[in-house]
Amino acid sequence: MILLTIFLMAVITFGTRYLFTHPSLPIRLGPKVAKFLSYSAPAVLTAIWVPIIFVQQGQLNLSITNPYFIAASFAVITAAKSKSIYLTMFAGLITFILSRYVQMM
Amino acid sequence: MSLTKRDAAWLMTKKGFLDMLPLNLAVLPWGILCGSLAIQRDFSVLEALLMPLVVFAGSAQLVAIELMANNASLATVLFTTLVISSRHFLYGLALRDKLKVLPTSWRYSLGFLLTDELFALSGNSKAFVGKLRLIYALVAGGSFYLFWLLWNVTGIVAGSYLPDLTQLGLDFAIAVTFIALVVPTVTNFPMLITVFVAALLSVLFKLLHFELDLVAAAIIAMYCGYLTDRWQCRNQLAKHGLSTKKALNDINKGGGKS
Repeated sequence: MILLTIFLMAVITFGTRYLFTHPSLPIRLGPKVAKFLSYSAPAVLTAIWVPIIFVQQGQLNLSITNPYFIAASFAVITAAKSKSIYLTMFAGLITFILSRYVQMM
Repeated sequence: MSLTKRDAAWLMTKKGFLDMLPLNLAVLPWGILCGSLAIQRDFSVLEALLMPLVVFAGSAQLVAIELMANNASLATVLFTTLVISSRHFLYGLALRDKLKVLPTSWRYSLGFLLTDELFALSGNSKAFVGKLRLIYALVAGGSFYLFWLLWNVTGIVAGSYLPDLTQLGLDFAIAVTFIALVVPTVTNFPMLITVFVAALLSVLFKLLHFELDLVAAAIIAMYCGYLTDRWQCRNQLAKHGLSTKKALNDINKGGGKS
């Protein structure tokens, strides 16, 4: 039963990724829809990372001493200035570890 | 010095691997959690391995393991998987015009590998165009698959001996990677509006325990970005002496420059 469930899940995850790339699907994307879809990457990725920062155990955390918030702020600034993924991760993670450490003391 | 075809392919292989590497590392805690959770919830090693091998999803794997361990019905597990995976419909749609022209084997393999992470690296207007960019995408997506498998296996083997890494705040790793990917792409006002609305609504929907929180927040944010762009176009055209009505007509005909 678990095996069957796993295979059906695989059909779903593959199906959601593959479906709209199938050529014979009768869908034609006009320029308006294409423009709308051009915002999908920033929209979805932001909707993934922002709740990690502000929602912990189902609770809203807007405190400025929230280590996630402090580190994310540093990361956003570093990303905007440097546009480097490695530098941003480095700055973000260091700030995160330090602010958690300070908070625990 | 000229570049042979093989040199170029090798360069793209390296670039694909290096561009994906930070994302491969950032999902380490999640992968280990997925693997160890499956074992802790009494899945067999084979079942735990099949999860990253064929399902190949992050949050869908985690949630499904918990549901199955609590004897949820098959329909519940599958419906939840569909809800969590539904954001991928957007990725397929956004890349449709580039992927639909590819040979079947490329479409199947890139379709299978089309995760959040690969989509995040596919923003370039020329992505998937030409053999070299396909190699880049295949290596980037393929390396993500292999690393995801590796982290899951680590969780399966060592899971019960490791502390819960997500409780250590390592979920911040995925957040910081996405920050690094998103922030540099915010180069105009419609993009800023999109990101701002997505941020606000995703937090709100999450707090309201809205099932489709992620997708709903993303789609509304995309629409806000789109409307902002149209509003800017209209203003610009009006400035250039065209009547608003004519400008609107132009945009509706798809002639609006963006």
